[in-house]
Amino acid sequence: MFHFLQFAATRAALAVITLIMVSFIVFSLMELVPGDCAERYLAFKNTTGAQISVADIEAERVRLGLDKPYVVRWGTWIVNAFQGDFGDSCILRLNISQLLGEKFWISLVICLTSLLVAYLIAIPVGIISATSKSPVVNNSLRLVSYLGLAMPNFLLALMIMLFSTMVFGDSLTGLFSKEFRDAAWSYERFIDFISRAWLPIFILGWSATAFAIQTVRALMSDEVGKLYVLAAAARGVTGRRLLWRYPARHSLGPIINSLGFDLNRIFNELPIVALILTLTEAGALLIESLARSNDQQLAGAIIFLLTASIVGINFVTDIILALTDPRVRRSILG
Amino acid sequence: MKCTNSMKLGLPACAGIAFAILQLGITSDALAATCPEVTVADPKGVPAGKYPQQYEQAEFEQLAKCNLLFKENPDIADLNKRIRGNPDLPKVEERLPEEPLVVAPYESIGEYGGTFDMMSNATEAGTSDFLAVRHVNLVRYSDDLQTIVPNVAKGWEWNDDYTQLTFLLRKGHKWSDGHPFTAEDVKYWYDNLSLNPNIFEKPKNYVLVAGKPMTVDVIDPQTVRFTMPAPKPGLLVHFANSYAQGFQPKHFLSQWDPEFNLDADKRAKEMGFENGYEVISNYYGNSDWTDTPTPMLRSPDKVANMPKDTMPTLESHILISESTEGRHLVANPYFFQVDTAGNQLPYVSEQDEIFVNEDEVRLLKMVNAEVDFKAQSLQLSTAPLLLENQEKGNYTIHLRPEVTMATLGINMTHEDLEKRKVFSDVRFRQAMSVAINRDEINETAFFGMGEGKQYTGFTDSPPFVENKWSQYYAQYDPKMANDLLDQMGLKDCDGDGFRDLLNCEKLVINLQFSVQGVAAALMELVGQHWGAVGIQSTVKEVTPDEYRSAQSANKLDVTVWRNGQPLAIVLGTNQIWVPPYHDYFTQRTNMLWAEYIDSNGASGVKPPVYAYQMIDDITAFQSTPVGTPKSDELGARLVQLLVENLLFIGTVQVPAPIYHRNVVQNFVEYKTHSFEYYRSYPYRPTQWWLDE
Repeated sequence: MFHFLQFAATRAALAVITLIMVSFIVFSLMELVPGDCAERYLAFKNTTGAQISVADIEAERVRLGLDKPYVVRWGTWIVNAFQGDFGDSCILRLNISQLLGEKFWISLVICLTSLLVAYLIAIPVGIISATSKSPVVNNSLRLVSYLGLAMPNFLLALMIMLFSTMVFGDSLTGLFSKEFRDAAWSYERFIDFISRAWLPIFILGWSATAFAIQTVRALMSDEVGKLYVLAAAARGVTGRRLLWRYPARHSLGPIINSLGFDLNRIFNELPIVALILTLTEAGALLIESLARSNDQQLAGAIIFLLTASIVGINFVTDIILALTDPRVRRSILG
Repeated sequence: MKCTNSMKLGLPACAGIAFAILQLGITSDALAATCPEVTVADPKGVPAGKYPQQYEQAEFEQLAKCNLLFKENPDIADLNKRIRGNPDLPKVEERLPEEPLVVAPYESIGEYGGTFDMMSNATEAGTSDFLAVRHVNLVRYSDDLQTIVPNVAKGWEWNDDYTQLTFLLRKGHKWSDGHPFTAEDVKYWYDNLSLNPNIFEKPKNYVLVAGKPMTVDVIDPQTVRFTMPAPKPGLLVHFANSYAQGFQPKHFLSQWDPEFNLDADKRAKEMGFENGYEVISNYYGNSDWTDTPTPMLRSPDKVANMPKDTMPTLESHILISESTEGRHLVANPYFFQVDTAGNQLPYVSEQDEIFVNEDEVRLLKMVNAEVDFKAQSLQLSTAPLLLENQEKGNYTIHLRPEVTMATLGINMTHEDLEKRKVFSDVRFRQAMSVAINRDEINETAFFGMGEGKQYTGFTDSPPFVENKWSQYYAQYDPKMANDLLDQMGLKDCDGDGFRDLLNCEKLVINLQFSVQGVAAALMELVGQHWGAVGIQSTVKEVTPDEYRSAQSANKLDVTVWRNGQPLAIVLGTNQIWVPPYHDYFTQRTNMLWAEYIDSNGASGVKPPVYAYQMIDDITAFQSTPVGTPKSDELGARLVQLLVENLLFIGTVQVPAPIYHRNVVQNFVEYKTHSFEYYRSYPYRPTQWWLDE
């Protein structure tokens, strides 16, 4: 028990340190974008007839605190960020926490559900594929997973949209139907959300599944041939019981470890899919703010939240691993 | 008695009236008093009134020898309940002005109901297409784009020397919350918003005449007079084609203005704002642009404490919800127009707008008939796909000429002094103009349907614009371009195949653009053509927001947008002739000249003599009646200075598609595809209805 607590405390501390380091990198990246928030904000004020002079921009810099040293600004930003306050978006001029609000959770739910679906399918299928001797099963599984790996997500999204447009007359875009777009959360709104969110979950889930099947299959193939499996089989353990209790248990460790990484990969794919499907969640906002509007405040906030989620998930998976594997909790630093 | 064309709930209503007639034994003479359903297509023998396609009530009743009976949308009470802060509705007769505007629909008396679906690019981007559908202003351009007709105002009067413009308003006209609309609302907009430094740091160009403010006087509640410091015949035009409405709800906004209400700041603080002006800014957006975010989007945490979600309007529809995904609107229960059968307009009960920032997805949604109308951001390049699917999607595409064309403004006040030196040399701009192969652009990007031209400012080529200017340095002549660049001394110092700056630093022109302004294919080709004469460039598409802020922050090498105005517009606004040569939303160039003028020389870059000459000329031009020799002389000189100095380089003028679903009734083919007359406003979207 002592080992476990020590392990958990160390991992928690490491997670916070990682987050702080990441925040520094994110903040530095935000700074590298040419033109700062003062300029962008004043460009908007131009609409009300104001002419921007260099002096105005300087004054606005002071107002936004952009004249302070780099480290001080990073410090303020990180302290506020940990309290959930990311300031105002440069271009939209709205409070980022309000703007992102549920959008980030929606993105996270979409990604986590895709991940869950992927592993629910990949673990049994991967195990079967690693142990099956049937060439038909093996080859067809391989085909499906290669398709998932090779076909770009946006193409899949476009194909499904085109198909749906031609056959059902619905382009399947958006996260909510008109009636529920601005409504408060309710059971009906949730059902409406599910009736649309399945598509991005399916698209993201397919490539994630393909990837996961390959991983599970490779790990299982490695383990299945090992001596301890053979020994167990020699003692008379057979069939599913043999697979689950011996090689599968060993193969799953690395998979749990890589969940955070998988989430990151899915989130990376989300913006493109979201743009095509006109989902207005955090992924689409991220690509808008990065690639098009150069809204560094907003992009920084989203990236920070994303890394925080990944660090959080890594922490949770470490704990799970420590609970399942005594060797892990003894190692402290993992 | 005709019941087929009547309202959705018309049948029982018709039967009821027929029943009542039988009961009371009313004779056929009394029936003649019911007004004929006059449309533009079939006037039923009723002569036209003073203005085309519309009447004042008394005028109509006299010409048609009838009495109008007013009817309303059967759902109006429910729609009204969705407008937060609106009290229950009185009867339709009490909601309409005592003298409503009577509108003759194009084809048919409409049926109430339905939701009109639209899409825009994003909050505050590509939205004017939709804004214009519900827009009203004091007056309006009729669909001939020449006649100005009454709208909110029922009439107007000029004095002899065009220094006084008096508007007559409608007695009993009400805001969307039922509060009276009077001359005070016009004066409030002008005195307390437009000229208030707490709202606008600097008055907008269109509220000034010769750089000076006007005086607005309330003569009586229905009469308001603008007195100008110099003649400006174009002021009436401004109130016909501008997005800026010449009135705002004084009763609502002034409660947060400390000048009107001593408790303004206190009340603002109670709602969670710093002061009263912040509340006004939340509602009014401190802009006449009717698209600034409402408290629903700007202050979602505070809006519940505020008395209304959005400020009252005179437009045909009012916003009831807004998010980063889209907006939803319902019919204004106090709208001031009726059709010739006495039905209160608008016919369409609700409007919905979603934001789609991907061109391809927008196109897919149109092919799939998910929107009812679209014109803005639609470029000729999309026409083949849209035309091909017309029948399947049950929609219609009209290809209409644009009054603008894509122009390139080379930044003569660039922050980089080496670039500024090169860009300020007129030979560079001449070379860049003749390096462009306009015929190739026309064939490749526009199916040969456009026309290569130089930019002359006046896109409708009034008589004083000499023909030579539209072809000035517009020929394709790469040899001439190379010679001009050689003369300037722009050599390839590092041997990479591209010319460098005079000090041998690398010259790469950043061609940033937004497809809302120009077609991507055009920019790609311009980049290639310039490359062929040794000028390297990178072509990058950005959002309209990003483009605009970079343009106004003077961050661009070359500004690119659609540009040009017809004579009628220039009479009302001088923007395209005065640095920075237009507003935030369109194309600007030479930002630092404007800064120099605004700061009286304290900062910025001193403009050349011809720029000052143009400022003087446009001011004189606007004060001189059109068609006189003096006006022609001034106009001709303006064009000459603009073109000779190539402030903007013209490209190819093209038509563009206008999309509407066939369920949209009373839709007339537009004269132009343009922003300049405020998009759909001349074609009367308030009388559209949905046959679903």
